[in-house]
Amino acid sequence: MLKIQDLRCKVETQDGEEKPILKGLSLDVPAGEVHAIMGPNGSGKSTLSYVLTGRDGYEVTGGSMEFAGEDLAALAPEERAALGLYLSFQYPVEIPGVPTITFLKEALNAQRATRGEEEVSAPQFMKLIREKAKQLNVSMDMLKRPVNVGFSGGEKKRMEILQALVLEPKFLILDETDSGLDIDALKIVSDGVNALRAPDRGMLVITHYQRLLDHITPDVVHVMADGRIVKSGGPELARELEAEGYDKYLGEAA
Amino acid sequence: MSLTLSHIPAEQALIDALDGATGWRAQLRETTRKDGLPTRRHELWKWSDLRRAANDVTGVGALTVSGLDALAQLADGDRIELAVRASAGASAGDAELVVPGGTSVTLVERLHGEAGALGNWHLNVRIEAGGRLDRIVVADHHESAVFIGSAEITLDEGATLNQTLIDSGAKLSRNETHIAHPGQGASVELGGAYILAAGRHADTTTVVHHTGPGGITTQLVKGAVASGGQGVFQGKFIVDRAAQQTDARMTHRALMLGEKAEIDAKPELEIYADDVQCAHGNALGTLDETALFYMRQRGLPEAKARALLIESYLAEPLDMVRDEALRDELKVWLRTRLGALT
Ligand SMILES: Nc1ncnc2c1ncn2[C@@H]1O[C@H](COP(=O)(O)OP(=O)(O)OP(=O)(O)O)[C@@H](O)[C@H]1O
Ligand SMILES: [Mg+2]
Repeated sequence: MLKIQDLRCKVETQDGEEKPILKGLSLDVPAGEVHAIMGPNGSGKSTLSYVLTGRDGYEVTGGSMEFAGEDLAALAPEERAALGLYLSFQYPVEIPGVPTITFLKEALNAQRATRGEEEVSAPQFMKLIREKAKQLNVSMDMLKRPVNVGFSGGEKKRMEILQALVLEPKFLILDETDSGLDIDALKIVSDGVNALRAPDRGMLVITHYQRLLDHITPDVVHVMADGRIVKSGGPELARELEAEGYDKYLGEAA
Repeated sequence: MSLTLSHIPAEQALIDALDGATGWRAQLRETTRKDGLPTRRHELWKWSDLRRAANDVTGVGALTVSGLDALAQLADGDRIELAVRASAGASAGDAELVVPGGTSVTLVERLHGEAGALGNWHLNVRIEAGGRLDRIVVADHHESAVFIGSAEITLDEGATLNQTLIDSGAKLSRNETHIAHPGQGASVELGGAYILAAGRHADTTTVVHHTGPGGITTQLVKGAVASGGQGVFQGKFIVDRAAQQTDARMTHRALMLGEKAEIDAKPELEIYADDVQCAHGNALGTLDETALFYMRQRGLPEAKARALLIESYLAEPLDMVRDEALRDELKVWLRTRLGALT
């Protein structure tokens, strides 16, 4: 479903220098599978999520990325979203003045329009969002507030998953969705993510902690270091990393 | 012997249009006869060169105002609508309004300069003790129009002025508000929003003169300017020695939507009292690229995402409008202008 081959990317730093970050990354996530990526700070995990979703400033310098048979690099961010690619941000962005409900309705209908599907009416949408909000234990009051403005770290993460439940993407990238969540919230959010698991849906779960993977059991765990996948294995790899750290993989990356 | 200034056709047309006029219109005629139209060499007009903008205006035009009858007999809770229309050519008109003590009145002025207009509109207002005026000005002109709106507003003790001005610009559009603020329970709220496409100019000039103690003034003007547009903000608070304990805050913020957007701002405080709380803030910025990416990641097309961000940015001063229906109407107006922009 998501096929990444020898992907290379660079960013331009503030002092105008070019910095390579992804250095030949290959990864294949078939439909129906959940893959986890673990790796030290700064290894390029968030960068990968931005390159896949088309953020400005992240320039692909080599390799390929293909999603649902389409060359991602040729598409605008909103086109990738309409194809079904969804990123739960490590740091969700505040949008002052735009109520969450309005934002989500506009987003859903924009995606549907791009796909040639009919608009969702206001009553249909309200029904949908009420149901999903209940599932994630989010109050309707919160949904009336501007997107992410004044939300706590954990509330923001919960909201990211709520948005995913409403938009029903084909592929989810979760960038440290577990960070900032308390124990109960982690359970609620994981249940939400598990509810999205389906034979035609893939997921890439970026995390530092085994505790998330206790709830969302991955099919494959990848270790990322210095812009590459340096090791892949089953769920036991995550437990091994938790016990032993990244030391033994850092050498291989160099 | 006096030297006569050689007038450009627009100046002559304006003088002709005001032949036999009295009051404010006679003053305008004499000023034009003596000094011509102001140019960028005048400190107060340095970003709005009226003489140059009026270069193509030749003949006499007509300024028509509908709704004036309602000004004569005002009752508490009244809402007055004035439609001010300037046809091609030079024209000028004015009106007077007294808000009786203790009453609350809403005034909506819809200004429209047609193609090739040089329109001048002036309003003289007095808000008597304890009275309240909610004044909304919608400047919605043809792109080749030149239009100068001005108001002289005097508040008595305990009076309230809440003014909101929205402007989508013109070849040159200027809205001047001069306020005499006596303090002593009187309060002034000034809101404004301008949204300018390429080739359009809008100038918000305000002077609030605090003459007595304890006055409150809040001003929030926000703008968004596309490449090739020009926004001007000149705000001045004067606080006399007698105006101790004045609380006056001025904020101007604007978004540059393209590299060739021009925004000129001059916030000024002139304070002669020593026990006051006065502040001004002025900030120019660009759209938040991170927010834009977040919205596009959720599927919103870039143009739509931009429009939503600009709309929410400019909505803040409109939220100060007290009447909900009117507030919604202004927001729809804003959205329509935004649609034309992106
Ligand atoms: N715009 C940028 N300018 C300069 N350096 C950047 C930029 N974006 C990313 N980097 C650098 O690229 C490297 C990878 O960053 P990235 O955010 O992808 O790491 P990460 O693996 O997600 O780390 P963490 O686990 O801390 O979230 C870091 O060294 C970071 O400083
Ligand atoms: Mg990261």
